[in-house]
Amino acid sequence: MKFPWVAFVGRRVVKSMREFLWTHVLTAGIMALTLAIFGGFVLVQQNLQGLLRGWGNQLEVFAYLRDGLSSTEIQSILSQARSLPEVEEVRHVSKKEAWENFKKGLGAQSGVLEGLTAEILPSSLDVRLKKSHREQASVEALAAKLRAIQGIGEVEYPGEWVGKLHLVTLGVQWAKWIFGGFLFVATLFIVGSTVKLAILSRKDEIEVMQLVGAPEGLIKVPFVIEGMIQGIFGAILSVLFLWLLFLLLTFRLPSLVAVFPSQSQLRFLDLSGVSLLFFLGWFIGAGGSLFSLRRFLKT
Amino acid sequence: MIQLYRVSKVYPPNFPALTDIHVEIEKGEFVFLTGPSGAGKSTLLRLLFRAEEATSGQIIVNGRNLNRMDRAGVAHLRQEIGLVFQEFKLLSTMTALENVALAAEVVGVSRKESRSRAFQLLRDLGLKDKQDARPPALSAGEQQRVAIARALVNSPILVFADEPTGNLDAEVAEETMRLFLKIHEKGTTILIATHDTGFLKRFHSRAISLQHGRLASDTKLDPREVTP
Repeated sequence: MKFPWVAFVGRRVVKSMREFLWTHVLTAGIMALTLAIFGGFVLVQQNLQGLLRGWGNQLEVFAYLRDGLSSTEIQSILSQARSLPEVEEVRHVSKKEAWENFKKGLGAQSGVLEGLTAEILPSSLDVRLKKSHREQASVEALAAKLRAIQGIGEVEYPGEWVGKLHLVTLGVQWAKWIFGGFLFVATLFIVGSTVKLAILSRKDEIEVMQLVGAPEGLIKVPFVIEGMIQGIFGAILSVLFLWLLFLLLTFRLPSLVAVFPSQSQLRFLDLSGVSLLFFLGWFIGAGGSLFSLRRFLKT
Repeated sequence: MIQLYRVSKVYPPNFPALTDIHVEIEKGEFVFLTGPSGAGKSTLLRLLFRAEEATSGQIIVNGRNLNRMDRAGVAHLRQEIGLVFQEFKLLSTMTALENVALAAEVVGVSRKESRSRAFQLLRDLGLKDKQDARPPALSAGEQQRVAIARALVNSPILVFADEPTGNLDAEVAEETMRLFLKIHEKGTTILIATHDTGFLKRFHSRAISLQHGRLASDTKLDPREVTP
């Protein structure tokens, strides 16, 4: 594009922004609302995934050993457990260590254990899963394999909640795309209609430009840039709105924060989430403008 | 400069606006396109600057075949043509100077150069004092002169005017026609559609006459003003 055209486009965009300020603000507001709803889904999904990751890091399977095993037999069980593909680390917890942990866990109430000995507790294997196997099916498969090892009695692992949380996260992810998709299309039409209004109000100008031989790009580009500016502005508004909502929720609902394990915490949208909103804003703005222009210039 | 070979235009469902038109216009000619309302004058002009496409036949303008022209080609064609309309088609939100300069700016001329060209043209057309006025504040004759200035700002090789005097009183219409004659004297090919046959008597020029969308007559004369 020639430099005089760049300057021409710039002047037209500034002029339009001034002349149709409130139309532009209204469109950006509608876009902000849509992006905020979509961004809300992204925020919930990202935090649920964080929660799953946090809990996943703590995910261990406990295999209790039968009484009376020799140290050679325990070593053999340990090496069999370590050879399983799902296993990252296996630690033997002796009766004594289990007893100490138990007492520590009871804290001030440990007096209730008076008269009892470490012998009442079984020794166990604490099995940590590899990252790639921290989901329900793998946990269940590992538990079954551990049970099959001679010398292992009961096997315990965190129950169905892992699977349920995983399902909820999947649900949010799908809802984000389905609900967000509807909103996205609706916004595209709203933006398209607003641009159409702007185009109609500048119909004469476009007609004159066409008659004097303005290249089509020169007619389109200012509208597309205006759409992009609206989209980016809408995205900024939506991120600000979500940020305020996030702050409000974390301050007002401390119990919500407590659900999160210490390794992970309730977080605002990460860079990819914010980038996604900016990209969508940009895309809706530019797409809506192009969509209307194509239809208008055709006629 | 302009060649039309067996050109027809049919509007849906089946309304023939032009039928089998065969015309050639040489470079530097001054031509009136005449005929009563509905004869097809405006349709023919619109075909020549590709506002519409012919249903059949071939149109060549300045060596370009309009049948095989994409949108970019149409824009390029119009940069070589100056267009003047009965209803002026000026933008009421812009001043006279801005209206004229716009036509130069959109073809890539710098703002400074565009405004300089526009100022010179307005001055030449006697509108120096009206350069900052917006069209609603100008008389019909002044608006038409602004429109003519806009048509000339890119030094076109061709000027098409569709009923340019339709909204002007007799005296201003006469002045406007003389203006076209002056432009023609500089070598520009001019094609003016008008239903006012009075001009044909006063301006001794070639006249292509249309009747019901068909070529009725084509008289070739030397362009010059005949004393009334």
